Amino acid sequence: MSRKLGETAALCPKCLKTIPAEKIAEDDVVYIVKECDEHGSWKVRIWEGVEEYLHLYDFAAVQKPPDKFMVEEMKDCPQDCGLCSEHKQHTCLNVVEVTNLCNMNCPICFARANSDYRFHPDMDLIRKMLQTVVDYVPSPRCVQLSGGEPTIRDDLPDIVRLAKEMGIEHIEVNTNGLRIAKEKEYLKALKEAGVDTFYFQFDGTRDEIYRQTRGRDLFELKKQALANCAELGMGVTLVATVSPTINLDNVGEMIRFATENVPTVKGIHFQPIFYVGRYPADPSDEDRVTLSQLAKAIEEQTMGMLKADNFIPTSCSNVHCDIKSLSVVLPDKSLFPMTTMALGPPRSTDNIAEKTRTEVSQFWRFIEETMDGPSESDDNSWAAFVDRAKTHYLTVSSMAFQDVWSGETERWERCCIHMVTPDGRLVPFCLFNVNNKDGETLYRHQVFRPYGEKIKE
Amino acid sequence: MEFEFSDAVKEVLGSRGLKEDDIKAVIEYAEGSNDKITNGEKNIAKKEIGDLTVYADYSVDGGKAVVNSGYAHKMKILDIVQDTSDAEGWTYAKNGAQVRKGHSNLTYMGATRSGPCMCEPTSGESWFEEYLAASALAAAEGLFEQKRA
Repeated sequence: MSRKLGETAALCPKCLKTIPAEKIAEDDVVYIVKECDEHGSWKVRIWEGVEEYLHLYDFAAVQKPPDKFMVEEMKDCPQDCGLCSEHKQHTCLNVVEVTNLCNMNCPICFARANSDYRFHPDMDLIRKMLQTVVDYVPSPRCVQLSGGEPTIRDDLPDIVRLAKEMGIEHIEVNTNGLRIAKEKEYLKALKEAGVDTFYFQFDGTRDEIYRQTRGRDLFELKKQALANCAELGMGVTLVATVSPTINLDNVGEMIRFATENVPTVKGIHFQPIFYVGRYPADPSDEDRVTLSQLAKAIEEQTMGMLKADNFIPTSCSNVHCDIKSLSVVLPDKSLFPMTTMALGPPRSTDNIAEKTRTEVSQFWRFIEETMDGPSESDDNSWAAFVDRAKTHYLTVSSMAFQDVWSGETERWERCCIHMVTPDGRLVPFCLFNVNNKDGETLYRHQVFRPYGEKIKE
Repeated sequence: MEFEFSDAVKEVLGSRGLKEDDIKAVIEYAEGSNDKITNGEKNIAKKEIGDLTVYADYSVDGGKAVVNSGYAHKMKILDIVQDTSDAEGWTYAKNGAQVRKGHSNLTYMGATRSGPCMCEPTSGESWFEEYLAASALAAAEGLFEQKRA
């Protein structure tokens, strides 16, 4: 039995044209189905558990559109993004790519690093991209410096300083950790320049995983990078690309590893594999991990310490884009979850993006202020619990980026994680990276290539 | 009964989201039932109002209640875990028993932990003081609630 849940628009995986799509329920699974007049039809699994999928709409925020738009009139979403006046949610995270070059050559790479052109903007162009953030995104502003691998740039500390001078309050660096594992002085320079956290590639706790995702053994090097961050007091979010065949069975171990490395590790983010960059094959449903599957795997592998029910949508992006939990890490390294679906939808969903941008800093400032003064020594007291929560907490989160097969405009138009382009636009991150089966993109190459240099064969 | 709230007390109550009427209700209940602890000069009384346990710290001057402070917590008070020493000068007006210093359990959203308090073991009653309600308990409640806000 098939039941129609709603209508949306999507992309043809062959020609990238906008085509109508429907979301349907079959055997307790939600699918997106779409048909291109020229190239055929597709049916892609996007969620397991129909009632849960529908219940999540109750968590939808009253979204706040951007104050200013680069594209005044939308003609064909998602073809002319920038953002346009139809976009539903303003930016909470700005991704600024400072190079497309990399010191690795991974089999899995969303950014298509080491492609046929070199995008390595000079300081003037980086200033222009940061100015787009300052002009179009209200304070507090969060920027992720990304790549390629941003730490291949010796002038990355200068970029960080520039961003801070321009009024960017929070800066995270997306890194594979190679350089900060080997060069403590470079790490120190990044810290002194004002890097707030690292968004740190971490695919598992076994080298065989890294051999498949990154082409070489890396676990020891990852641990060294973390040790260096701990020594310098830098906070880290671990980020794992999750594949059903490579490391879905390792998510529980990764959470245990993260827990053991709190407070250096502030969170672990699971990124279900999405098929862009060097993945131009036509993926099957078995090649994907949905958010609901991931949450169940976490529950099973942590022996119920973190249950699927502890994951709630952030309500910042579309409610089917992400899940997040927050736990206090107790002295015996067990997790005490603070989030649960059982509490129901948020009481107030106004201006969620601003709340998300300020949430973490305000949250802990609130705790600091209310707990000003000496606390008790009794480990089982509320005071000791709160005292510990100030430093020993762990977020476990996941975001389901869309690719050309799974993507839909209902989610893209509510996106709050945006790529900053050198021509002064903001484009939803996963839309920016979408490519068709032949590797042609809607945005990435069209945007970056004119600012790049051709790499000679 | 007459009540006196200074401007400073009104400001504190406002910052804690408490109404003067809530504090009046606590005092009227305490004075009518003797369900309060007292050191002869000032009294601490509590009453559950809605989801809150509201406390009044007050003195009685003639027929007038002078409110020194008011505070509240959302956690539910459970049993006394231990009592360690006398709270000198304090008695429970309802039964005339000596009030003790100790620790009692509080529960909130499925979690139970202890906190220091004044208690009276024969009745099993506990009273949490302002410093704890306004700091650790408020912070812990906030920790749980922040994710719903």
